[in-house]
Amino acid sequence: MGATAVEAQARSASNVGADIEQGQVSAVNRRASDNIAIRAFIGRRMGSAFTNIATRKAVEEALGLALSSARATTEDKDWVALPEPKVYPEIRGLWNEDLAAVEPAKVVEISGELMARAVEGEPGLIPALGGSEVAAYRSAFANSGGIAHAERGSVAFAGLGAIAKTEGGVTPMVFSYEVDRTLELDLDRVVSDLTESIRVCKRTAEGESGKSTVVMHPEAYGEILYYTLQQSIRGDNVARGKSKLEGKVGEKIASELVTIVDDGVNPRGAATFISDDEGVPRQRTPVIEGGVLRSFLWDSYWGNRMGKESTGNASRRMRQGLVELSPTNTVVEPGRREIGDIVSEMETGYLIRGVQGAHSSNPESGDFSVVGNPAMLIEGGELVGAVHGLMVSGNVYELLGQAVEVARTPITIQGLIGPEIVFEDVNVISRG
Amino acid sequence: MFDLLERAAERSRELGASYVELRGEEGFVEYLQMDDGRMNALTQRIERGVAIRALADGAWGFVSTGDLSSLGGAVEDACSMARAAARTRREPIELTEVEAHEDKVEVKVDRDPRHVPIEEKIGYMAKMTKVIRDYDPRVTAVTVRVRTASGRKYLVTSEGTRIQSDVMLVWGYPWVTGKEGDRLSAARHEEASTSQGWEYMESFATPEYMGSEVARRVKLQLEGAPARAGSFPCVLGPRVVGVLAHEALGHLAEADLTVSSAFNGKLGEVVSAPGVTMIDDGTLPGLVGNERYDDEGVPASRVELIKDSVLTELLTNREYAAKLGLRPTGNARAESYLHPPIIRMRATFFERGDHTDEELFEGIDFGYYCADMRGGQAQMNASFQVGIQEAYEIVDGEIGGPVTDLSISGIATDSLFKIEAVSREDFPFGAGRCGKGQEAFMSDGGPKIRFGKGGITFGGRA
Repeated sequence: MGATAVEAQARSASNVGADIEQGQVSAVNRRASDNIAIRAFIGRRMGSAFTNIATRKAVEEALGLALSSARATTEDKDWVALPEPKVYPEIRGLWNEDLAAVEPAKVVEISGELMARAVEGEPGLIPALGGSEVAAYRSAFANSGGIAHAERGSVAFAGLGAIAKTEGGVTPMVFSYEVDRTLELDLDRVVSDLTESIRVCKRTAEGESGKSTVVMHPEAYGEILYYTLQQSIRGDNVARGKSKLEGKVGEKIASELVTIVDDGVNPRGAATFISDDEGVPRQRTPVIEGGVLRSFLWDSYWGNRMGKESTGNASRRMRQGLVELSPTNTVVEPGRREIGDIVSEMETGYLIRGVQGAHSSNPESGDFSVVGNPAMLIEGGELVGAVHGLMVSGNVYELLGQAVEVARTPITIQGLIGPEIVFEDVNVISRG
Repeated sequence: MFDLLERAAERSRELGASYVELRGEEGFVEYLQMDDGRMNALTQRIERGVAIRALADGAWGFVSTGDLSSLGGAVEDACSMARAAARTRREPIELTEVEAHEDKVEVKVDRDPRHVPIEEKIGYMAKMTKVIRDYDPRVTAVTVRVRTASGRKYLVTSEGTRIQSDVMLVWGYPWVTGKEGDRLSAARHEEASTSQGWEYMESFATPEYMGSEVARRVKLQLEGAPARAGSFPCVLGPRVVGVLAHEALGHLAEADLTVSSAFNGKLGEVVSAPGVTMIDDGTLPGLVGNERYDDEGVPASRVELIKDSVLTELLTNREYAAKLGLRPTGNARAESYLHPPIIRMRATFFERGDHTDEELFEGIDFGYYCADMRGGQAQMNASFQVGIQEAYEIVDGEIGGPVTDLSISGIATDSLFKIEAVSREDFPFGAGRCGKGQEAFMSDGGPKIRFGKGGITFGGRA
């Protein structure tokens, strides 16, 4: 048909989930999808196409669309070639037959158990929304450079967003969840996390503007990092002048307590695959070691263009046909003390479990301005109550330099494995 | 498509479901991305799929499939999943009764985007890139995204509803980076239409307009001073007021969220300063997010969320209308056949007041005028946040110099009482997208509004 290079990726997925709404299971959902994405090159012109119809005829039609797009587009003088075969890592435990064969009754049972235990664990706790879901996927990738790779995986999730009524209204919604590659989801951890937080949030506390010590839960700093630091370590953004970290590999950019790895092969990670979406093996890439910037993330296009090896970070938005650089599992190296011990020795400060508005941060400058929510006041080593509307603003590179302690026990969330981090001299703004 | 859906609906009657809806979609969808003049994605697709939602024994079962050859089996699946969910329920889900509609909703456009040559679309993006590059030499990177859609969706319910609606979308989004020394800044702009075709990109969202708007903001960001932190009197412009309407109250007036929020139980109560009226109007023609029927076949309507400072109505679907004894407002929307419909806003705005724009700024010794936003987010305790990408100081009642990125926040149950004045001037609606687990296109807007000190907190750094 005229293509000089071509790649295709097929992904078949089946999800079964049970939704929680207002303290009851409201629905069971099943989504089955077959997605096929194609990129075709004519010389240095690229076109792409997508189809959700898994037939030879539909794929041939999609290839035709990709080629007609390639004929219409402009030449990219910097395009070199599609990646070539490499040895893939072995990662155990990605596929679980129990998950692949899960029945709707099982996800209903998990959702029901989670709700019941949370309600039992704290008077007045209202399970507002959440649920459980099991996903199983099979994917296959091939390109004209000789790569032919298939893999499969499965993952289970259970989570709950809970509130409680207070004298003046309601608590912030506290959300906690567990992701696992088996059905042995640690619901105990979710329930104790929720009930302990709701217990504190039932009380209201007043914040005070100024510089303060702030303990951030991985849900909070994970959001800020995603929209700032992680955009700046993308090789394409570095190459395009969109990153403040350009030219800073080998320089200290964070406290020596901060070590961050992009770990695409971590068996505990929810974003773990054997191959990236260009057929390049996933890998473990140190990003910051002891506060020193070690590496950016690369896919094959930008790696070729900048003389770097791909780090296996290509990610495909199937329906849009866009292949872009994306982090895998961000792993933060733990410290020595448990979070309870750290908080118990703090005179004053805040524990921030989540943030509102990280997506409105400026990824280029690293500036962020968010609302900590839930945010809890710490006084005399105790969590006193929820502070409503506490803002936190700063610059992510300054924030990373203000890390004074990393807690001991990592928490696995979507895309991140890490413990709480303590930052000092953080700019907090209280209402009024 | 109708025949396929109706045969599947027949099957649901045999299975004893109390209600089944089938939503079919087929159409052309396109995504283009140009990075610094290089086409990074150019994807066209024809997509078909069906969503089946069944209410059986008082719970929902939902199945989404791209395989149209086995819809009978998918209906069986949806019913059996509903029954699996129903076993744990204390009380059954019920739906408020509505009239069944048979209708055909057409969107007439001058230039259907599926027939506009790719070369022309690439030319549009290249021209926008050039406008931005030419605006200021400090521009270092330009990404332009374009999405279009042209297709049809079909709704068949077991109650006799049979609606065919055209689907149309043209959307443009430049993201621009500027650099001066060590200082980096970024800004974006977004425009969309669901009632016009490619002619919208030629007449309104032109490369010149889009490009100069976003480039102007990057320049302001490079030249701005950091904003102070704390609470200040402020005037919010229409684009910010729109997002404020969406985030401060709009989400918490979605009945499925209201019941868990700080606004629960406040229907009929005063929730704002006097003279404030806020509407979600799905009937205003031409606005993004508006259509004749929602995805349950209920006609879209005008919903008076706040009328003269009183919380008057909530946005509902059929389930929450029955649960709360409210009218169905036609706000059940699904992103696509991959998702079940949930309660979403359409065109949310504050009504005009009776002040001149000049009066809004009078008497402010120091404060801020926020002209444009970059996203926002709501929480159940009525905490809202809006990212600001264009703002200026107000000094002695006059607009002063620009300030850099910041965000504003407040607690809606308090902040709405701090509204001091609402402009009587007309305002444009902005088009945007909202993520509540699913993407939805929507509009928002409002006249300039002035908040007194204590209403809005500024997350500045100075």
